[in-house]
Amino acid sequence: MKRIFFLVIAASILTGTVFAGGQQEAKGTDMADDGKFVWIIESEDGILPGVNPLKVEGDIITAGSSTVFPLSEAMAERFKDEGYNFNITVDSIGSGAGFERFTVAGETDISNASRPIKDKEITAAKEIGRDPVEFRVGTDALAVTVPKSNTFVKDVTLEELAMIFTSEKWSDVRAAWPNENILKFIPGTDSGTFDYFVEEVYDKNSAAILGASNLQMSEDDNILVQGISESPYGIGFFGYAYYVENKNVLNVLNIDGVEPNKENVDAAAYPLARPLFIYSDASIMKNKPQVAAFIAYYLTYVNEEITRVGYFPANEDVINGGKDAWLKACEGMY
Amino acid sequence: MTLTDRKWYKSKPIIHESFIQWFLIACAAVSIFITFGIVFILGKESLLFFSEVSIVEFLTSTKWQPMIEEFGVLPLLNSTLITSFIAMLVAAPIGLCVAIYLSEYASDRVRRILKPILEILAGIPTVVYGYFALTFMTPLLRIIFGQNTVDIYNTASAGLVMGILILPLVTSITEDALKAVPYSLREAAYGLGATKLETSISVVVPAAFSGIAAAFILGLSRAVGETMIVALAAGAGPNFTFNPFEAAETLTGYIVRISGGDISYNTVDYNSIFALGLLLFFMTLILNIISRSLVRRFQEVYD
Amino acid sequence: MSNFHDNVSTRFQIGKIWKTIFFIATVLAVLAILMLLVNIINGAFGFVVIENTVQPTELLASGNIDELSEAELIETLEAYLSKGLIRRYNIEEPLNERPKAELMSLVLERIIKPRIVESWNFGPSIINRGMIQDMVAEEYPDAIIEFRAWLNPKFLVTPQASTPELAGIRTAILGSFMIILITIIVAFPISVGAALYLEEYAADNRFTRFIQININNLSGVPSIIYGLLGLAVFVRGMEPITSGTLFGFGDATTANGRTILSAGMTLALLILPIIIINAQEAIRAVPQTLRQAGFGIGATKWQIIWSHVLPNSMDRILTGTILAISRAIGETAPLVVIGASTFIAVDPNNIFSKFTTLPIQIYQWTARPQPEFRHVAAAAILVLLIMLLTMNGFAIYSRNKISRKRDR
Repeated sequence: MKRIFFLVIAASILTGTVFAGGQQEAKGTDMADDGKFVWIIESEDGILPGVNPLKVEGDIITAGSSTVFPLSEAMAERFKDEGYNFNITVDSIGSGAGFERFTVAGETDISNASRPIKDKEITAAKEIGRDPVEFRVGTDALAVTVPKSNTFVKDVTLEELAMIFTSEKWSDVRAAWPNENILKFIPGTDSGTFDYFVEEVYDKNSAAILGASNLQMSEDDNILVQGISESPYGIGFFGYAYYVENKNVLNVLNIDGVEPNKENVDAAAYPLARPLFIYSDASIMKNKPQVAAFIAYYLTYVNEEITRVGYFPANEDVINGGKDAWLKACEGMY
Repeated sequence: MTLTDRKWYKSKPIIHESFIQWFLIACAAVSIFITFGIVFILGKESLLFFSEVSIVEFLTSTKWQPMIEEFGVLPLLNSTLITSFIAMLVAAPIGLCVAIYLSEYASDRVRRILKPILEILAGIPTVVYGYFALTFMTPLLRIIFGQNTVDIYNTASAGLVMGILILPLVTSITEDALKAVPYSLREAAYGLGATKLETSISVVVPAAFSGIAAAFILGLSRAVGETMIVALAAGAGPNFTFNPFEAAETLTGYIVRISGGDISYNTVDYNSIFALGLLLFFMTLILNIISRSLVRRFQEVYD
Repeated sequence: MSNFHDNVSTRFQIGKIWKTIFFIATVLAVLAILMLLVNIINGAFGFVVIENTVQPTELLASGNIDELSEAELIETLEAYLSKGLIRRYNIEEPLNERPKAELMSLVLERIIKPRIVESWNFGPSIINRGMIQDMVAEEYPDAIIEFRAWLNPKFLVTPQASTPELAGIRTAILGSFMIILITIIVAFPISVGAALYLEEYAADNRFTRFIQININNLSGVPSIIYGLLGLAVFVRGMEPITSGTLFGFGDATTANGRTILSAGMTLALLILPIIIINAQEAIRAVPQTLRQAGFGIGATKWQIIWSHVLPNSMDRILTGTILAISRAIGETAPLVVIGASTFIAVDPNNIFSKFTTLPIQIYQWTARPQPEFRHVAAAAILVLLIMLLTMNGFAIYSRNKISRKRDR
């Protein structure tokens, strides 16, 4: 019996220390005496205050779009790399679910989104005392991809694209294409990418694409990549970064003869280019200096990381708009 | 065992005794709370679901796409049954053969080696089997039948691997059932001049029939509730198909995909996973009850 | 049976054939396990092609970075790395005070940054060794090829990362460990208590039978249902408790119930019936004479249980508990349902932390299309299997030893 007692006691001591450890960590988001952020250093871009990640304290919780995920993840990793020593979570759950956590449950500090926030989501946020602030972080060229082995389709029109995702066989869309089932791999209905695609290609009517045959849906873009790359007659779409990461197994289609690349995105020629956002709230940024720090850091350095991740930099005016929003939200703190 | 006359030591310990007894009763009652919890939670959310969806549509429509208000459970149920059926095609015959071999033919030494191996196999987490399905079984099927016939995600691969998963369970219960058949029955058969095979097939197996059936049904119940293999290998879209080489999402696969994407509370999506959970709960419950009553019947015969 | 004698030899022949069939089935079953293990080991080791992100020749004409002086090394670092990173380095220890070897390793790690561009499984690495080497020499002239064990000591201690070569399972192991600790603390006393009640106190009446049937049925409920229960009860219903806000932990604005505590309690419910059933068998195996002897010398029921029944059944109870715990460690579905986090790179610091576990990492890595992540998943599976097989093996071994001892 003694052994068991010992076990139980050891276990409770362990949990006790774990508790205690937590209590120490929970403190420490205090500010400088003058009420300004403690992490401020010399400005890097002449607009936002510079961020010293070593001085930033407290956890940051972000969630949302799987499209924005690789970018936020890269920024979070760089933030940590430069000395931020607390926990930053980046959950890839889809824009809709991200907004749900941000505006209804109020669980997140930052919401990643591949579509603008909807009016009803703003209303929901106001009900819990949050006023969403939008920061544009970049541009995505929604990539419509087929497996590397597919040699018959290189270029489609928007009309054909709409037909592909609702038709049974490839030959139904263009007679020259093979008489094989179209295996469709698309993001789940909770994702901003799905919303965007339905809005652009189907004029907001999702019934047609959701009623299609041979349809596979996932919030996890990796599952889509795997599905498309391994299905000779597969096709699907997702954020451009997932194409870049899997270039060796996927081909990206030109839409209306326009290739998704930097020039065409900058020139607004690619029809499926769309903005990427992160959202937060002024009171969160003021009360949690670490959130303000991370967003400032994000906006300052995003253009150094975005190309490597696989998206396209937003033009300077748009980024500066976000920086102004930051300055307004954190007034008096810098 | 009960001591009626407690006068002998009627002092302090008695108060403490009754306190302990109540504590232990409370412990036992926790299990009832769990069951009530499951039924209550699943029932409550399902009620919300069925207040918006007609139960007739739920059980008869062949399309499941909550976004556009298509709530037919058949595609999900169908693929659950297909994967479970394939799993049983693997596990039932092989399980029975292995059990007969272990109980009737194998030497003591072989049995001592094989039984723990089977038991350890039963302890391998299902996500590992999911990895196996996706990285071994699916490529194998695609090599054999061709890339165009076999989709990257398909129910056949998930079902076959699920068969391997429930094999140890089916084997060990079947073997227990065969072992429980009294030796005198076998001796009687030998006495009549039957060969070992004839004894096993026409005497032992029929005598253990209800135990074997219980093993199969329990295996089936495991297969129906199995999640990670189908989540990784069977596909991510509800698809009403009888072709095992096509992708099709099962009940459990749908629940995991939707809750993994973390859907909004109090939406039909959220309630729908509880309604599916309730269906799953009743399916496995009925299978388990049948299996247990078969075991009981079997025990009554030979105890 | 009329021509009993005529075809005796045929009958024995058939008997032999079937014996072979039974034997083959057994071999097949063992083969299936073997394939499973081989497949995992196959994925966890193999050749990788490593290419430098920045070629040393870009830094220095000769390509030999040994030739750089300390000042030049610092200059290179400052030219390639972000200001913030240099600042961090300087605060940890000023760059110009660091030994040359350290600066070199920084240049190597941060600038030249070798990364894996292609990988093979163990099987092909051995069989097609020559072919692979030829192919690599042709396609990646600047790259080197080496044999990599994806399961290595570094893999165990590094936290999760977004690149496969840097990914580790430290956070996942800690998460698993903390969750299991809670599971044990919750499930063990309740289960043993319930088993004691059912075996020692309960009269054979309807209520007892109901509890018994109920426990048996619970043990057959699919684990994903427990996930739904946990989601509704612990994550949502008891959010103030499970998120820790009630105790002043975490930040009230963002705290939620998707924590280690919720996960641990959900798994506790899952293994409760299993431990109860095992503990009941263990308690039942204690000879009745022991109890009678106790009553004979005037002990109370609880005294007998505490001093005789429990000590005599504890080894079996613990064995059963270990088996149940190993089941809990491997569970994935309920944790996905209650909402494990995708990306956590910092150790969980209390029971109200968000969590990830080993099986969840395996699930996510397996679902990724890049073959490198398959290797990482295989390595993580090996860790999980070694952990579980040791636990299970120990439990099964000690159970067999106990039963042999008792039989004697």
